[in-house]
Amino acid sequence: MSKIIVMTSGKGGVGKTTSSAAFATGLALRGFKTVVIDFDVGLRNLDLVMGCERRVVFDFINVINGEAKLSQALIKDKRIDNLYILPTSQTRDKDALTREGVERVLNDLSKEFDYILCDSPAGIERGALMSLYFADHAIIVTNPEVSSVRDSDRILGVLNSRSRRAEQGLEPVSQQLLLTRYDPERVEKGEMLKVDDVLEILAIPLLGVIPESQAVLRASNVGMPVILDEASNAGQAYTDAVGRFLGEEIEHRFVNPQKKGLFSRLLRRSA
Amino acid sequence: MSIFSFFRSAPRPSAVQAKERLQIVMAHERAGRTGPDYLPMLQQELLAVIAKYIDIDQNKVEVKLDRGGDCSTLELNIELPAREQLKSAMAAVKQAKPEPKAASGEGEDGKLAANGPLTNGGVKKRH
Ligand SMILES: Nc1ncnc2c1ncn2[C@@H]1O[C@H](COP(=O)(O)OP(=O)(O)OP(=O)(O)O)[C@@H](O)[C@H]1O
Ligand SMILES: [Mg+2]
Repeated sequence: MSKIIVMTSGKGGVGKTTSSAAFATGLALRGFKTVVIDFDVGLRNLDLVMGCERRVVFDFINVINGEAKLSQALIKDKRIDNLYILPTSQTRDKDALTREGVERVLNDLSKEFDYILCDSPAGIERGALMSLYFADHAIIVTNPEVSSVRDSDRILGVLNSRSRRAEQGLEPVSQQLLLTRYDPERVEKGEMLKVDDVLEILAIPLLGVIPESQAVLRASNVGMPVILDEASNAGQAYTDAVGRFLGEEIEHRFVNPQKKGLFSRLLRRSA
Repeated sequence: MSIFSFFRSAPRPSAVQAKERLQIVMAHERAGRTGPDYLPMLQQELLAVIAKYIDIDQNKVEVKLDRGGDCSTLELNIELPAREQLKSAMAAVKQAKPEPKAASGEGEDGKLAANGPLTNGGVKKRH
């Protein structure tokens, strides 16, 4: 049986798609057959972040509507074995996502894949609700910023009341926090919420802290999941988070400012 | 930079304020989320009943649900119209009903006291 993960946040632009691409790639690198699905109907972006935008012929909605077979819409990643992308439609709207249709596609995928990762759109409307409805695990992507934290709490409420597991009285969707765009130096100056603050408020286990990093933009520019940039902080932080997701105990890195000598501090200031 | 700024107490870091604000707003939102789902209906129906007898301004209604350990209270705070209008409203009520319990609250400044009959405990429920 495959496991269904939703990457969700409530708030837009916090790093769901970046994290979905990284996570799916990380799981595939560990040998799990993984598919990542774009639920952001009308605002397709996962294909760009994964670098497969020119290979999209059929999409998720075509499959739901019976206009294409699943095998026609699935895109196999060129770099990594075991990794597939199911892109969404750029032209339809979210009403195209019916619960029955989504369920059918997920059922078919679960026969073949170990992990099905759903990249949720922002908001708490149909697309977001559909992406989390069937989830076994939820990764809550949050920025250390007031509106993002509050929206994450909203989404936790939705997961606990409107997911399939909640509606059917099953074991609740497991929930973990992925704190992204974290800037330890601003935290130290008291300008940004600390990891511990966010954890205290949301009260869910911490999966990882992804630092604010220029590598993320560089990676998306070239259509490469940032986890493949092994030299970058963000890439390493995602690799750690995937390990923790799989049950490994890995210490959190990138949570404290890097110790700098006076010289490099001076250099930085003049840079 | 003036020399006095050395003596000014350091302002609270903005991150500390962010945390406090979040804790307050989210405590409120979570309470609403786990509240009984009949609550909005109950509020509406209660207000509709009162509006049948008294001309109330919907903007001057405050409804609060407090969830204690084993006892929750629903508090209705309704600002009533000025005394003159209240009197005629009450007269109308008397005509409508011989013993108008609901409208016998002692209005002060046109406001029903918190312990007036109308708000007295509101709805109390033991779990
Ligand atoms: N760790 C990071 N460091 C720096 N920039 C980041 C980081 N994570 C994400 N970003 C940037 O933030 C922006 C939004 O990221 P992304 O598209 O992944 O968010 P999203 O939550 O999927 O947005 P939407 O809600 O619109 O779907 C992008 O420009 C991305 O490059
Ligand atoms: Mg996105």
